[in-house]
Amino acid sequence: MSVGPFSDRARVDALAKVRGEARSAADLTLPRLLYAMTVPSAIAKGTMTALPVEAALRVPGVVRVLTPDDFPAPPPFTEDGPPPPPPTLETTIAYRGQPLALVIAETLEAAIEGAETIRPTFASEPFACVMESAGAQRQPAEDVAFGDVPTALSFAASTVEAIYDSPTQHHNPLELIATVAVWEDGQLLIHESTQASSLVKGAVAGALRIDPARVHVRGATIGGSFGQKAVQRQTALVARAAILSGRPVKLVQPRGQIFHTATYRTRTRHRIQIGADAAGKIVAVQHHVEQEQSPGGYFAVSEYHRDVIRMYGVQNYLGTGADIRLDRQDPGYMRGTHPQPACFAFESALDELAYKSGRDPVELRLANDTRVDPQNGQPLSSRFLNECLREGARRFGWSRRSPEPGSITAPDGSQIGWGMACGIYQSATTPAIATLRIDARGRTRFAISGHEMGQGMHTAIAAVLLEGLDIDPDGLEVAIGDTRVAPQHMTAGSWGTNSVVPAAMQAAERMRSAFAELLGGRQVSGNLHRKLAAIRRPFLQIEVSTLGPGQDQSALEALRQGGFAVAESVYPGFSTFSYSAHFVEVRIEPGTRRIRVPRVVSIADCGRVVSPRTAESQVYGGVIWGLSHALREATEIDPRYGGYLNVDLADYVVPVNADIGEIEIGLVDQPDPLANAVGVKGLGQVSMVGISAAVANAVFHATGKRVRELPIRVEHLL
Amino acid sequence: MQPFSYIRPATPQEAVGAFAQAGEGARFIAGGTTLYDLMKLNIERPRHLIDVSAIEGFNRIETDGDRLRFEANAAMSAVATDPVVARDYPVLAESLWKAASQQLRNMATVGGNLLQRTRCMYFRNGAGGIYPCNKREPGSGCAAIGGLDRGQAVLGTSDTCTAVSPGDWPVALVAMDASIEVLGPNGTRSMPVADLYRLPDTTPHVEFTLDPGEMITAIVVPKTLAGRRSTYHKIRDRESYAFALTSAAVALEMNDDRVERARIALGGVATRPWRAPEAEEVLAGQRLTPELALAAGRAAFRDARPGRHNGFKVELGARTIADALRIAADRSRT
Repeated sequence: MSVGPFSDRARVDALAKVRGEARSAADLTLPRLLYAMTVPSAIAKGTMTALPVEAALRVPGVVRVLTPDDFPAPPPFTEDGPPPPPPTLETTIAYRGQPLALVIAETLEAAIEGAETIRPTFASEPFACVMESAGAQRQPAEDVAFGDVPTALSFAASTVEAIYDSPTQHHNPLELIATVAVWEDGQLLIHESTQASSLVKGAVAGALRIDPARVHVRGATIGGSFGQKAVQRQTALVARAAILSGRPVKLVQPRGQIFHTATYRTRTRHRIQIGADAAGKIVAVQHHVEQEQSPGGYFAVSEYHRDVIRMYGVQNYLGTGADIRLDRQDPGYMRGTHPQPACFAFESALDELAYKSGRDPVELRLANDTRVDPQNGQPLSSRFLNECLREGARRFGWSRRSPEPGSITAPDGSQIGWGMACGIYQSATTPAIATLRIDARGRTRFAISGHEMGQGMHTAIAAVLLEGLDIDPDGLEVAIGDTRVAPQHMTAGSWGTNSVVPAAMQAAERMRSAFAELLGGRQVSGNLHRKLAAIRRPFLQIEVSTLGPGQDQSALEALRQGGFAVAESVYPGFSTFSYSAHFVEVRIEPGTRRIRVPRVVSIADCGRVVSPRTAESQVYGGVIWGLSHALREATEIDPRYGGYLNVDLADYVVPVNADIGEIEIGLVDQPDPLANAVGVKGLGQVSMVGISAAVANAVFHATGKRVRELPIRVEHLL
Repeated sequence: MQPFSYIRPATPQEAVGAFAQAGEGARFIAGGTTLYDLMKLNIERPRHLIDVSAIEGFNRIETDGDRLRFEANAAMSAVATDPVVARDYPVLAESLWKAASQQLRNMATVGGNLLQRTRCMYFRNGAGGIYPCNKREPGSGCAAIGGLDRGQAVLGTSDTCTAVSPGDWPVALVAMDASIEVLGPNGTRSMPVADLYRLPDTTPHVEFTLDPGEMITAIVVPKTLAGRRSTYHKIRDRESYAFALTSAAVALEMNDDRVERARIALGGVATRPWRAPEAEEVLAGQRLTPELALAAGRAAFRDARPGRHNGFKVELGARTIADALRIAADRSRT
């Protein structure tokens, strides 16, 4: 294992992407391909009483219309089995936009035209679609608690309490959700833009009641995913269409429909109470969170507490919460997931505490450092949050800040505000099974679980292999995301790259040993390919597997079965988290109150940095999306109609280049000594967590106005 | 998505003739940036498209003499970068620059831009019986009234429609007293740009005063020294590629620090490009101060009728006018 910093390498797939050569699932064309389009429900709840398809079948080019009658009954639900697959087509309507029929046709135009002719009739029922709706069902969640919060708060020298709101938001990666299904010789091959090919395989097999051994999923190049592209309802529909028609079928879901069918960041409301002693030490935190939830959704409320608990050395924590059950599709994971809104609330409240107790926000955080996991008392394997804070403060020039709100004004009258906040995200681990094969003709193939979504996993793996093995870089193939080449994990939760990099490192070591054994002390010149050629061995192949801390062989078996085998970051004996500290400058126009962000400094502790270029790119993306969470994005729901209103990229406002100022990135690059052999930790999520609080805190510093709901818009400051 | 016929006439006369011949469901199309979009949303369902983009020499930009004349097919980006327009009429250039994206500005024409339809989300996203809309389906009702109306108009609304007129360019043209040349089955005519747009009243689906088969052939802007002291100031939810929350087109004739005459038109706040004579009157003959500028801004919104979530547009709109007046006044006359 090399110990020095990894060298800067270009992104492996950069040229292919900028040249338009990278092929995503939607790009795939096949002979005899049929095109599909869904018919979405116009009502939010009720029953479909008739589905007339005759007009659609008269549209030239339409081949067939799939209806609920074309699908098997859902598989029986078992408590200890895998999660149930998404439903297929049903007459019971659970949310507006639910697919009711699938039209397949010789052309995309015919499929669209056919779908537009279908006007089902409905028996509507009353529905509830936002927290405030009559009929919303409130379901308390499991508490997360330790210490004695009421007593600690009663002794606190200063306390703050406030309510913070994070809105509904939808992932809007540029690439739409696309599925191509091919049914051939009793085998189903699915090409899909997915970050969870093995879960797609299991879900399709389960929904269509076919043997999983006959289902194969190839995750194509993904044009952004961020938690949205896991398991889709559409996949089994397209697969069924391919089976019934005997032809390949493609569905690229329109963006307006994706808003209604894919998962999203659900709206949350956080009530935070923090108490501190006279020395500025936080003594207790009380955090109640409610979220909008679907009738059967499992996106867990308790996870809003998991990371925030460990941000500082807090001895008393009471985390409560509730699901508000509504007639909506399932919410789900979206970059930063639970800590994203939780840290907006908590780090905003901490800023309020800093002002109330007359302390500098950076000093307050530095003073609340911890070496142990406050929930269980076990050590944190590595924690460089204070290094992030000091480095960020130094680069930003924080010491020059005058703390008084509204005290800095630009020559044009703009109010200037400097704010900061921190982020935390667990560093979980998934097991990996990999094969590495080097041949005598200059080729190397490394097959492992994982999906390249733009985060740079492919490049990080290549960096480790090229660092550790004397091979031809041009002949290196990294095969990931395909259930046919290796068991696949779901790439999410910032556990992807930090789980496969140690496996790549181990594979390189094992391969070097295998070569040493093979050569038996003979001196053979040239790189590994030439060595094989010299001794007339066509190839050498090794297999390795890695486990997360505390995992045993059963985790590998679960991975092979396509199950969820992730070791969460509270490991036996130690806990591992990633950290970030963000410093933001806002400028607010005196008249029209436009908010701009000319400058951000963001420092992250992600353990060892294996691929500096893609790691920094992750942080840029995280910062920009954090600014978007704070200042731009919100999905609008009209409670009279259900569904979502602003369903395109014009009305669902994400930042454009003109919104983004200077962003300076720093990575601590200190290895974690315990989590894995390379010392890497997760980065994708933590780079975003905390930014929105830093923006809100900067807005307060600029104006003296505390905005506790996102996005912050001009009307908040007029 | 329904089948349609498609032809590319070679002259404006041919285009108008083809339209008359096509009968029901005919539409002119130029850059296509609005019409194709609305066809995909199943709102526009033309049976015949008469594509005027292939007409030769229908995109000239004339800046000699006492007027500016832009033929209908001139691209937004071409007019925005014309040296005379950019130097002497920043209000026109800026209204084009601050609209859409470069790709769209390269495709969209200055004639077609005048006929862009509203961005009201209930209008755009509700086809297929989801949201009622008097513009899309006359008589069905208006979901925006009493709904999520943050983006809706506060001026010129009616009990049947509050949809905002979305354009930037028409606002600048209305401020500059521009007119259009129109060719139709009965020959040519000319009218002020301001007269092209109807208030929603009880018929919000009838948006323009053009007769069936009439085509805009050119836009004419009388030259004025006020062009130099002009600006198009646009406030939106992001710094580019967004429609206006509020905007103000302002051009000033000044005598030292006194306003002799102000021209002010508003976007993002009204059901049609909105000239603001109340604001202009406040300024006439007065020394321009920040207080007076804000008073003028507030005067423009005296009759505003905000809904549930768009009340901020009244104050924001007033401040947008005030800022635009300062920006315009700061520009030198030479």
